[in-house]
Amino acid sequence: MTSPTLALPFGLAATAASGGSAASPREAEREAIEACRRGEREAFDRLVEQYQRDVYRLCYRYVNDHEDANDLAQEVFIKAWRAIGRFRGESAFSTWLYRIAVNACLNFRALRRPITQELPETLADPVPLAAARVESDDEARRVRAAVSRLPEKQRATLILKIYHELTHEEVAEILGSTVGTVKANLFHALGNLRRLVGEERR
Amino acid sequence: MTRHLSDESLLRLVQGDSAEAERAHLSACGRCAERVEEARAGLTLARRADVPEPSPLYWEAMRLRIGRRIAEEPRRSPRWAWLAPILATAAAVAVVTLTTGRAHAPVAHPGPTLPAWSALPPAEDDVSLGVLEAVAVADGDLGTDDEGRGVSAFLAGLTDEEYRALADSLREAGKGGES
Repeated sequence: MTSPTLALPFGLAATAASGGSAASPREAEREAIEACRRGEREAFDRLVEQYQRDVYRLCYRYVNDHEDANDLAQEVFIKAWRAIGRFRGESAFSTWLYRIAVNACLNFRALRRPITQELPETLADPVPLAAARVESDDEARRVRAAVSRLPEKQRATLILKIYHELTHEEVAEILGSTVGTVKANLFHALGNLRRLVGEERR
Repeated sequence: MTRHLSDESLLRLVQGDSAEAERAHLSACGRCAERVEEARAGLTLARRADVPEPSPLYWEAMRLRIGRRIAEEPRRSPRWAWLAPILATAAAVAVVTLTTGRAHAPVAHPGPTLPAWSALPPAEDDVSLGVLEAVAVADGDLGTDDEGRGVSAFLAGLTDEEYRALADSLREAGKGGES
């Protein structure tokens, strides 16, 4: 689920201010990126406003902690600012930004390991199925904790596909993988998530 | 039933966009049906567990913090960023030319007229001039900037202040090449 964005999409704010016609959000974003490449910090602030929620939530899914997600999200934008001169528009800006975020999260976890006991890639004996129903915040916390215990690639795939509603192709591009691998990882992630939540309940 | 469905087929069944043959297999294969059911349960769980929403003020505070940190970053020279590899190549060419004495040889095909250089102190041995000449002569081979301008046109569009800064950079580059 993509988070509801409080900020006005690109172009709308300018339209409201000027009363005239404005570029499409995509065009406005492209112009903002060009302005950033010229060193205009105000333009980057608009990009931050547009994407900060998604980046924060992606980071939160990885680390399952507000403070860590906050630090990571800021680092992602600082890295993006430093690297935006090299962004050539060959992929969507969001895809490029997510790639930075995923790498930052992976590096963070590598440095902080072990935060939680991660699930091995394969499970021998699946836990018997039980009703999958989230009835409380406690259950939501259990699910988030289970997500953070998934193997790296499965976790990344599930977060990008389910929570950010990216296409298989976009996820593959971000993770440097193939579409087939993304689909397989997603399927295994879903099954493993179910089992891990079962463990968290016990 | 000797072969189970692939992970991709099972995912299609979970997402509800499977083929008839895959659905037929599922109805006859307990193992595949069990895996699909498990993944569906996982999908249901995943979709119901949202991230806690921070306070609305949090987002503004985050933007401000990021803005402050970016303001502390070293100032870039993005207008010249595209020139960096060109100038590096030209500097190398100029250094080689100067050290082999070819800089004083007659030029068979005069290059385009260099833009006014009033911002620079006159100095015949200024390395930056050699670099600029090499850049201007090779203008046609060096591509254009985002606005389709060649190097000479770009140089001609610089202000005096920008000329000075660029010349300083070139002199520094020249010193590096000579050392």
